[in-house]
Parts: sequence; structure tokens; C-alpha cells
Amino acid sequence: MSQTTPTTPTRVGPGPTTWTPGKVGESDRRPDGVPKVTGEFEYSSDMRLDGMLWGATLRSPHPHAEIRQIDTSEAEDLPGVYAVLTHEDVPGRKVYGMEIPDQPVLAWEKVRYQGEPVAIVAADHPETARRALEKVHVEYGVLDPITDAEKAVQEDAPKLHLSGNVLRRIRILHGEGVGAAAKADVVVRGEYEVGMQDQAFLGPESGLAVPDGLGGVDLYISTQWLHIDQDQVAESLGMDPDQVRLTLSGVGGAFGGREDLSMQIHACMLALETERPVKMAYNREESFFGHVHRHPAKLRYEHGATRDGNLVYVKARLVFDGGAYASSSNAVCLNAATFACGPYEVPNAEIESHMLYTNNPPCGAMRGFGAVQACFAHEAQMDKLADELGLDPLDLRIKNALKPGDRFPFGQEVPPPAPVREILERVKVMPLPEEQEVMGRDLRGLPGGVSNVTHGEGVKRGVGYAVGFKNIGFSAGFDDYSTARVRLTVEDGEPLVEVHTAAAEVGQGLLMLQAQIARTELGVEKVSILPADTRVGSAGSTSASRQSYVTGAAVKLACEGVRERLFERAREELGEPPDGLSVEAGNVVRDGRTVVPLAELLDGDELEETCEYHHRETHPLDENGQGDVHLQYAFAAHRAVVEVDVELGLVRVVEIATAQDVGKIINPQALEGQIEGGIAQGLGLALMEEIQVKEGKVLNASFTDYLIPTILDMPTVKMEVLELADPEAPYGLKGVGEPPTIASTPAIVAALRDATGLELTRIPVRPEQLAGVSDGPPLPDEPTPGGAGYAEVGRLDGRRET
Amino acid sequence: MPGYHRAELTAELRVVATGRAGEPSEEQVEAARRVAGGTGLAREAGPETILLAGDRREVLEAAMEIVEAALDAGAHTVEVRVETEGEADRFGP
Repeated sequence: MSQTTPTTPTRVGPGPTTWTPGKVGESDRRPDGVPKVTGEFEYSSDMRLDGMLWGATLRSPHPHAEIRQIDTSEAEDLPGVYAVLTHEDVPGRKVYGMEIPDQPVLAWEKVRYQGEPVAIVAADHPETARRALEKVHVEYGVLDPITDAEKAVQEDAPKLHLSGNVLRRIRILHGEGVGAAAKADVVVRGEYEVGMQDQAFLGPESGLAVPDGLGGVDLYISTQWLHIDQDQVAESLGMDPDQVRLTLSGVGGAFGGREDLSMQIHACMLALETERPVKMAYNREESFFGHVHRHPAKLRYEHGATRDGNLVYVKARLVFDGGAYASSSNAVCLNAATFACGPYEVPNAEIESHMLYTNNPPCGAMRGFGAVQACFAHEAQMDKLADELGLDPLDLRIKNALKPGDRFPFGQEVPPPAPVREILERVKVMPLPEEQEVMGRDLRGLPGGVSNVTHGEGVKRGVGYAVGFKNIGFSAGFDDYSTARVRLTVEDGEPLVEVHTAAAEVGQGLLMLQAQIARTELGVEKVSILPADTRVGSAGSTSASRQSYVTGAAVKLACEGVRERLFERAREELGEPPDGLSVEAGNVVRDGRTVVPLAELLDGDELEETCEYHHRETHPLDENGQGDVHLQYAFAAHRAVVEVDVELGLVRVVEIATAQDVGKIINPQALEGQIEGGIAQGLGLALMEEIQVKEGKVLNASFTDYLIPTILDMPTVKMEVLELADPEAPYGLKGVGEPPTIASTPAIVAALRDATGLELTRIPVRPEQLAGVSDGPPLPDEPTPGGAGYAEVGRLDGRRET
Repeated sequence: MPGYHRAELTAELRVVATGRAGEPSEEQVEAARRVAGGTGLAREAGPETILLAGDRREVLEAAMEIVEAALDAGAHTVEVRVETEGEADRFGP
């Protein structure tokens, strides 16, 4: 092994972002926008440091196997290799996990999914690291994988974990349950299936670990929650959390896929072992194995209603494949159970939600987690019920829409605002796009586009509707909070507000939101957002559509604290009466008259406040699945218009119309971005995005074979937003990131059903389903994972085993 | 989402090598794992280590059962580390 040269260089990051933001309610030009477009923005994979080494990961080619032996000697002898580490080298806890620490940092006796990390190396060049991986010899005893969640639950199934294969079970019993079935005039049943979607963020996992020379480590990382990473990394390094400092680096999208650890512990282990900075950056193929995915699910439903269309009961059994490790499956199971009936008044319900371990890739958080799968099924059921009753599907939804004061099937009272009826009615009256002649149309306007596969023959149009909802913030008793430090100072004679939080900007516009709040509350022109890091308290995760609410509230609270101290000073020093002061354009004012410029009042001093904002308490479900479990609910309705070439199975989504309940618009441009982006992800799940897994092996770990929508697939989006303030939330806002993803998928599938008359119970809908070809061409018997041509750290199936 | 169900108590149990052998016998570890599996609270946390997570009473009772099983199988030492959720104070009050 190569000799190490202890160096402890200090990384100089991009520093604070300073600009003049808009105020709350105004569109703002995002400060990271131009650098991202011009390529100047530093993503985590761009980080460099003198003397740094490259880390790489050896992963299991098998979804289920015993590890009989790991021989690292040949890899250690390779020139340029500085460290080869296995589970024996994990200094602290050998497992990690956000809720349940069940995932090995490096596997020891067993691997439970294809791609599970077994060994890590650090070398002076990425190619040397790749070659070193080939020289780590792992002897596996291959075991039969459990790849079907329904089979994993069976008594005789082999146990993948000590406590068996059931990760969580939730049962909700509401009213008389299915005992009310006799009161129903009409019953419809259906079975639905959701495939495994990937977050498909564009910046693969990467980070840079730098030893501090005193036994600790600094980690620069793209993540969603710095403090939970810090906690887990410190635990596995056997260190005090203060010795592990994290700074957010440029994040290229997240969507839930960065909530779990990927290379964080590995990079730190290698850095501490070699006493050199170590960078790890996955390529696209490895990224598919490096993060969790959206849970595949099978959902069985039964809806009963009166002849005039009032829902009587819902019975549902939801089975989720959690894959090999727990990740955030508990929360997904909970959300699915609590949203299983949709935003409807359902007097009786029996819901079972099951989460199982299998040897498939681990699944966890993804935009709309749990609500997405349930929405596809309950909305298909509502269409089926409308058809059975001879009612308009939208009218049936409006008739049964939840309203404030109703009870969810899990017992919680529906809090205001809950404008389900209103958003459905908005969508109903939005004009449909004009129907255009298909024959002779520009090819770019036809299903299949410029591929020139259709000229309009067999193209049918369909229209579909759906409505969905999502909980905002963390639920079920978790003390959900965020911390903000705000400092008012004077720079070059001009007042400046610095905002420091640990909240992760992952592309959604959180920098702008924090700055807009600071400018609005403190009346200054210039705001500086400091880099997010663990030197300030936790901000919680950038997930569950919660940062605007929780971190927004923390920043607002801290600004209010600074402002109050400012006014105290004005009262004390200038003898101003206590009431009626405000801050505007860098001045303390009363009745529009400047009392004193802020810079003069501060007189070289700084005012600083650090505040934690905790949202209202929530509670876990009881044994009957009842409880005030969620904080806030946000609703969105969608109408999809599609054109389908029913002979070729090609689809063009012509338009999505949506109405969404947002509470308060903080930044109109960012809101539009969230709505359009969420719809794109919903379209992807409806039509193209699925990780193909056969016998536990991923078949399409590349963007060549895993399809995501491009701008050419995106339809025109018409949107209306309702600003009905939530009285508990800062400015009355609601989280907006997830709702657009939830109902857009079932709306598109409903439109496909309308166009084709097919039942379409599985998403994504494949062309062969639409063209009436049963399952399409057979999959190859021998899957070829890693066959996509990305080979920087070695193809999974090409890595040597003995 | 993360942390919905952070356990009230966790306990990490490790069957420690006895005598000069350097490693605990497979039988001792297996005995501990077998009992741990029946508790519904256990996950593997290393070659000889079991992690229990759950309510305080359940975890303590399960830990006792596992220790007894390991001792009955001939283990001389079982290391037990018990932590309350309150230790992770960055995640709660």
C-alpha cells in the first residue's frame, strides 16, 4: 500500500450568496440560476482539493448471498492505492439508517441487494481506484432472492432480517368498516400496481471528506438533511458529532433520493484512514444502486356507494416492497394508509398497509411518498365507480369532496382550509384545448413526435381527472423543527441581513425564500444567505414539502426578534413611542416618515437572534389507526388531455390543467416551477419511468434505458392557484412541492382510459398495453446489469468474484 | 419523514470473545440471534452484534432474554449498551 503523506488542507467554499431579493409575494431571479445555466455553479461532484484521493466502492453483484471471504491483499499491493477497507474497519456502529439502523456500512456476512457496498478503496486516481476494486476478491455463496413482497410475508419465507420480513403493518378501522357494505347499492373492485420509480436527479451522489488533523473530519456533501447525516456518520465513525462537521455542497436535485446516506461514511472512513482528503463521486450507473427508490406497490381496493353516488365504504389492502433495508419505509407505509381513501368523505373504511423487506433495491423517500401510490388506485376506483353509476367522474368527486370539519378515516378532523371542491370546480371550468385535426399535422405535434412513426392514423383523444393530497411536514409525533440565525449588520454603510440555517437548497428555491422573508421582515435591500452547515442547529430535512413552512417560520421568527431589538433601541435612544414603528428600505419609519436610517441606529453594532421553530404537535396512530397524525394538508386537482396512437401505443400529453391550494404565494415564479416540475415527474411515472428489476437485479441502470420526460414530452400547463391562508402557517403558506406529482399521474392514466377504453391498472403504462399487446417482448433470461457502458468504477457484473 | 419512529430506547448487544479463541463461538452468537429474532425488535448490527429498538420496557426485557440465551450457550461476556432517544437531542427537545 502506498505511503500516506499527512496533509490537512482547508477547503474554501463558494461563500455566502448576497443579493437584493424580492419581497414575499414577488417573483425573484434566483441567485444560483445563471451560474447553473452557464456551468459556473459548483456542484458537489466539481469539488477539488490539492492532494485529494479518489474513493470507490465495491458492490455486490448478487441480490442475496453469503459472504464467505473477502481478500483485499492484491488490491492493497497495487501502486497508487492508499486504503482498502471492509466492515472490519468500521470504527463505530456498523449499521446506519434514518429510523431503523439496519443497513450495513459495509456488508459482513450477507448481502441483501444487488449493489450493496462490500469494500471501499482510496487511490491517487479514479482509474487506479477502479482497478483496485477488480483486485478485491469476494467469495460469495449465492442464495435465492426474495423478490416478491407478497411471498416475503408468507410464514415459510426465509427471514431477511432477524425480526423477519415485515417492516410495518398499519390497520385503519373507521366507522363500521366493511360492515357497512350492506348499505351500498353499488360496489366496484380493482387491483392496481405501481412500478419502481427513480428520483433521477441529475447530479449523482458525491462528496469530499477532509480530515482535520485532530482526529475529526469535515464533509462537503450534497444531501437533504445535514444533521441526520452528521448523526449517522458520527455514530459509525465512533466519534462525537462535534468532530464530524458537514457543509452542504452544490446539490443537483434530490426528490427524496438524498435523504439516506450513500458515500458519506465511506468517504470519511477513507479520509481518516489515509489522512488525506477523499472525494467520492458516483457515475450514473452507480447512482442507481447508490440511493433508494419509490416503493413499488400492489393495491387492492373495494369501493361501495349509494345509487346517487355517496361513498359508503372503502376497503383497501396496500402491499409495499421496501427492498432490503428500512430507509423511510415506515413513513411511506403511514402515508399510504392515511391517504388510501383520497380526499373524500368516507364514512366507513378498513385499510391495511403492509411494508415488507425483500431482496430488491431498497426503497424510501420520493416526492409524494406513499400518497402517490394510493392516489393512483383511489382515483382509478372513483372513475370506475362513476362509470358504474353513470355519473360524470368529476361530479362524483365533487359530490364526495372532503371539507373542513369532516373526519379523515384515521380520525383527524379536516383542518381549514381544505378546498377540495373548489379546486375540482376550478379545473372543471377551465377551457379544454381546441381539438386539432390530426391528419396532416406537423409531426412534432403527434404522438411519437419527429420519430415519424405515425401520421395521425389511429390517434384518439382522451380527457381524465384526478385529485390528490399530501401531508406537509413531519407527522406522527415527531418534534419537527428548524433553526435560523439572523444577524443585522452594516456593510459599506448599507444595512445587511445575514441568514444562517442548515436547510438544504436542493434546487427548489429555498435560498430565495429565506432572503425574501429577511428582506420583508427587516426592510433591508441586501441579504446574504450563508452556506448551510452544521455550525447552526438542525433545519430538518428538505422533504415532505416542509422547508417553506418550518425553516420559513424559523427565519421569520429570528427576523422578528432582531426587529424587536431594533425598535427597543429606537425607543431607548430616540425616545420614540413604543407602537407604530416599522422598517422599510433600510430605515425605521413611522407613518411613512423616516425616523432613523438602520445604519445610523446600529452605529456599528450587530444584532443577532437564533430561533427554533417547532410546529404544532402531532400524534402517532393508535391500534385502530386513529389519531391526529399530520400537521397540514395540501390539495391539487389535475385534468389531463392526451392523444394516443392506439395502434402503436404512443402517447402525447396535450395539456395538463391544474388547480392547487397553496395558502400564500411566496414567489410566483418558483411556485410555477414546482408545479410544472411536479407534473413532469407525475407524467414520467404515468408513461415511462420504471426501474426494471428481475430476480432482484436492475436491468436499466442508465438514462439510456431508464426514461425520463424531456422538454419535448412536457405539455402546456394551465394552472390556477388558490390562496386560502392556513392560520397556523407563516404567511398562511402551504408546502407546494409534492401535490403536483400526486394527482397528475392518475389524471393522465384516466385520460388514456378515456381514449382507449382499456382498464390500465398498472403504471407506468407501457406502449404494448395501449396497443393491446399483452406484455410486450420477453425480457432476457440473463439480465445484464451494468451493461449501459458506464464503467468508471467497473461494471457490476464484471467485478471479479472467486 | 425520517424520525417518525425514532425508538424510545435502543440497546446494542455484543457477544464478546471468550478465552483465547479470539472469537465467540458461532453457537453462542446464534443462540442470541435466535432469541433476538423472536422479540420483533432486533436487527443485526455487526458480526456478533444485535441492535434492539423500541419501547423502553420491551427493549429491556428483550435484552435480558438475549443475554440469558447467550450465557446459556456458553458465552462469558455480553456487552450491552443502552441509549435513550433523548441522547439524540438535536432531533428533539
